[in-house]
Amino acid sequence: MINKALNHLEELLVTFLMGAATVIIFVAVAHRYLAGVDIPGLQDWLLTLNFGWAQELCIIMFVWMAKFGAAYGVRTGIHVGVDVLINRLDDNMRGKFIVFGLLAGATFTGIVATLGAHFVWENGAHYFFFNLFGIAGEDLYEGPTTPDLEWPTWIVYSAIPLGSSLMCFRFLQVCLAFIRTGELPHHDHGHVDGLEEETPPVDVDVYGMDDNLHMHDLKHTMVGDRRSGEERRRDAAGKPDPERRQGERRTNDDDGDQQ
Amino acid sequence: MNALVIFGLLAVLMLTGMPISISLGLTVLTFLFTMTQVPLESVALKLFTGIEKFEIMAIPFFILAGNFLTHGGVAKRMINFATSMVGHWYGGLGLAGVLACALFAAVSGSSPATVVAIGSILLPAMVKAGFPNKFGAGVIATSGALGILIPPSIVMVMYSVATNTSVGALFMAGVLPGLALAATLGGVTWYRAKKFDYPRQPKATWGERWKAFRASVWGLLLIVVVMGGIYTGIFTPTEAAAMSAVYAFICAVFIYRDLGMKDVPKVLLNSANMSAMLLYIITNAVLFSFIMTNENIPQALADWMLGNGLGMITFLLAVNVILLLAGNFMEPSSIVLIFAPILFPVAVALGIHPVHFGILMVVNMEVGMCHPPVGLNLYVASGITKMGITELTVAVWPWLLSMLVFLGVVTYWPGLSLWLPRQLGML
Repeated sequence: MINKALNHLEELLVTFLMGAATVIIFVAVAHRYLAGVDIPGLQDWLLTLNFGWAQELCIIMFVWMAKFGAAYGVRTGIHVGVDVLINRLDDNMRGKFIVFGLLAGATFTGIVATLGAHFVWENGAHYFFFNLFGIAGEDLYEGPTTPDLEWPTWIVYSAIPLGSSLMCFRFLQVCLAFIRTGELPHHDHGHVDGLEEETPPVDVDVYGMDDNLHMHDLKHTMVGDRRSGEERRRDAAGKPDPERRQGERRTNDDDGDQQ
Repeated sequence: MNALVIFGLLAVLMLTGMPISISLGLTVLTFLFTMTQVPLESVALKLFTGIEKFEIMAIPFFILAGNFLTHGGVAKRMINFATSMVGHWYGGLGLAGVLACALFAAVSGSSPATVVAIGSILLPAMVKAGFPNKFGAGVIATSGALGILIPPSIVMVMYSVATNTSVGALFMAGVLPGLALAATLGGVTWYRAKKFDYPRQPKATWGERWKAFRASVWGLLLIVVVMGGIYTGIFTPTEAAAMSAVYAFICAVFIYRDLGMKDVPKVLLNSANMSAMLLYIITNAVLFSFIMTNENIPQALADWMLGNGLGMITFLLAVNVILLLAGNFMEPSSIVLIFAPILFPVAVALGIHPVHFGILMVVNMEVGMCHPPVGLNLYVASGITKMGITELTVAVWPWLLSMLVFLGVVTYWPGLSLWLPRQLGML
């Protein structure tokens, strides 16, 4: 439940950052050129706007996107490694190497998260929180701000500890799932939408049609089959029917094509 | 000594199959904790500032632009256009495959996606027209790699990030070699089709060609937006990338209508996923090259090369061999990010032009995508043709061989890459 909410939040954040950064740069560039065009009224208004901060904001958004997207990427299996060697090992050894790799990922991101948290704390978060709760008094460092937006850098940089912790968590999650089920998330780099796929419409169950014109699943009887495979086979053996034979052979061909 | 330990550790970690970014990061951490006095703080800072460059942000934008147009509908339009132009020559559909791959790869920016998109539409058509399966698979698997040479190319942005070379000049420099490689692959296709007398398509009328061109031109204008924008100075490369993303969105949703508004979040998420992965490798590769520079490894390599009287020719040969070997195991962006910072200072010391060196590396990456054991294009092609990798390796060899010859030409003839950017005054 919490995990699902986290998944959604992660996806939402990453999607938003990607879209928003694009729009911001587009608007900034459009503004730069439109402000030079002499349109009464509009030009005056455009000239009052300043988009000098767009570049900085875009960088910040993409750094956040990179950190959280990397965590999302662990879940989708997009982080590629060199797997030629371990794929030649037997399943048991391969499994051990995969677990090792995932744990190494968790270790690295864990260390980075700690380093990052330390850095963020020293660069202003300490001051901010102590001030917030009124425990200030010692001379703490207020921390720098970003040049254009003048945001405190510790807020900007907190992407590192937050993103890396999330990534560490994702590595552990994937590792646990792998130990339990033996399955790894895998990203399909060659996926293209809009190619014709040979999937039948949902409401047609070709396996359920017992009319000899459609394929039958010979190995597994499906729910809704009017006759079990056993019966069908006994039928065919008892009463040699050339047409049905042919039908079945075609069935096998069909199956082969689909694989 | 330290260099050997670093590389040994990196190689071992990589071979365990963990993500490349993680193995880079762990190597750096191990090195920092055990072998050096570099303060941890300076590294923590690098971790934050490593990708804080506006130039790097071109990568997510180009990926987004490509993802909007990586669609079966766009592929179909490109194929129609290509077939109407060259279909009546020998090996018509094969030639059309080369052309369509070049166009689609340039727009989509992904080699494997190009192989799938063009291949799954064109290969059945080729088989139906009477081409052997092997021929079609060879053409598509190799031509799909054209995309990383023809701009806009993400690998080139990676190279420019790693070496501080101008993206605009690299893009321009990629145009002529890209066209030349497409012509080479087309030539091989034509020659083999003529030799084995493969079928030709009926010649299309100019009316049909115009119609097919009008349908595909909207996607192709993306290249014009990027190249024109950068060349005329209207946009910086990153702005051009953002503009091309917006253009691709308008094109896919409002002009082609391949995508609805409801598909847009999915495209955004996929692009963010891909870009985050690449940016993560960049962050760690920046750290890695930081400790390399800190240990003076590129400098030592350059001194050693010069001290032994090894000239440009030997060095370039060695570079090609190293990169081709690395291409056996890794994907292009990681190779560029790891090797470019090491090899680049040597290349500059030997008087090799940075842009020429970049093009050479990119062509190398292309070859690496198409040869076993790990050529990604081969795997994807094997998925759509249902041929085994061994069988495919045999199928691609005529094209692969011509690519290797082409690599030799690019390596030792800098003029091919440098002429156009020089003419345009970008160098």
